[in-house]
Amino acid sequence: MPTSWVVALAAALFAVGAVGVLVRRNPLIMFMAAEMMWNAAALAFIAYARAWHDLSGQVMAFLIVGTAAAEVGIGLALIVWFYHRRPRLDIDEASRLKG
Amino acid sequence: MLIGFLILAVLALASAIGVVVAAHPVHSALALIGNVVTLAVLYLLLNAEFLAAAQIIVYAGAIMVLFLFVVTLLTAGKEERELPEELAGQRLWAGIFAVLVGGGLAYAAVRYSGGVGVKGAPPKSFGDLGTIGQALWGPGFDYLAVLALMLLTAALGVMVMNRPERRRESAGAAEPSAPPADTPLPSEPPRAEAGGGGGR
Repeated sequence: MPTSWVVALAAALFAVGAVGVLVRRNPLIMFMAAEMMWNAAALAFIAYARAWHDLSGQVMAFLIVGTAAAEVGIGLALIVWFYHRRPRLDIDEASRLKG
Repeated sequence: MLIGFLILAVLALASAIGVVVAAHPVHSALALIGNVVTLAVLYLLLNAEFLAAAQIIVYAGAIMVLFLFVVTLLTAGKEERELPEELAGQRLWAGIFAVLVGGGLAYAAVRYSGGVGVKGAPPKSFGDLGTIGQALWGPGFDYLAVLALMLLTAALGVMVMNRPERRRESAGAAEPSAPPADTPLPSEPPRAEAGGGGGR
């Protein structure tokens, strides 16, 4: 399969994830859409690793998987922490915080 | 090969759209699991065996289960409609932005990466456990070390974020009124869950 098609698929997935982050207001769904954007980036890395026969791209994709794991741990803890203070799953609640 | 790629691409895009349009977060999480598994099969087609396995284990196994835990804890039995958008035209602009970004990136991909790369099939061991282990522990060791540090920091951060609060709250609840022991504090289980999930 041509590399360009795979990278085009990655671009489309990235765009769909960006729409999810921008349009949805449930923080959990926004977070999942962001996960999809990570995955799209990893797919592009792997496609180019295959095209150039170079493993650096796969190393980068591995880094993305690890980073996503760390991000999910912190992000879900933040969402749960916030939910206990404002029990409504709406990201606009965060704009009413006062520092 | 090409047919397989097309089927997988359609599946990946459909599940991605499912994540975005689902009304309930649980449906979103299930669609995201489908997306992750589809991408893992796509990685197999792209000679990334180890990453396909890692994708299944880490994403579908760990991350999505954590997501499902939190989603069911926070939204169980609740039917919340999203409020109307406060920012005027947000959805329209989001759509325009997405079409521009996705279209632009896809055009650039098709236009400029058509003939790049090395001709022919990669070596048979490309992307299996041995070669990727050598790449990770050899030239990529700095990245691996930084990644380990980052995961440790994330675990510590989750513990710091959740632990002192829980102690203070349970102490405060026990002192003034001494509620019956079998009355669960309404906010306790999710917090305990988040702490356990973050320590993963």
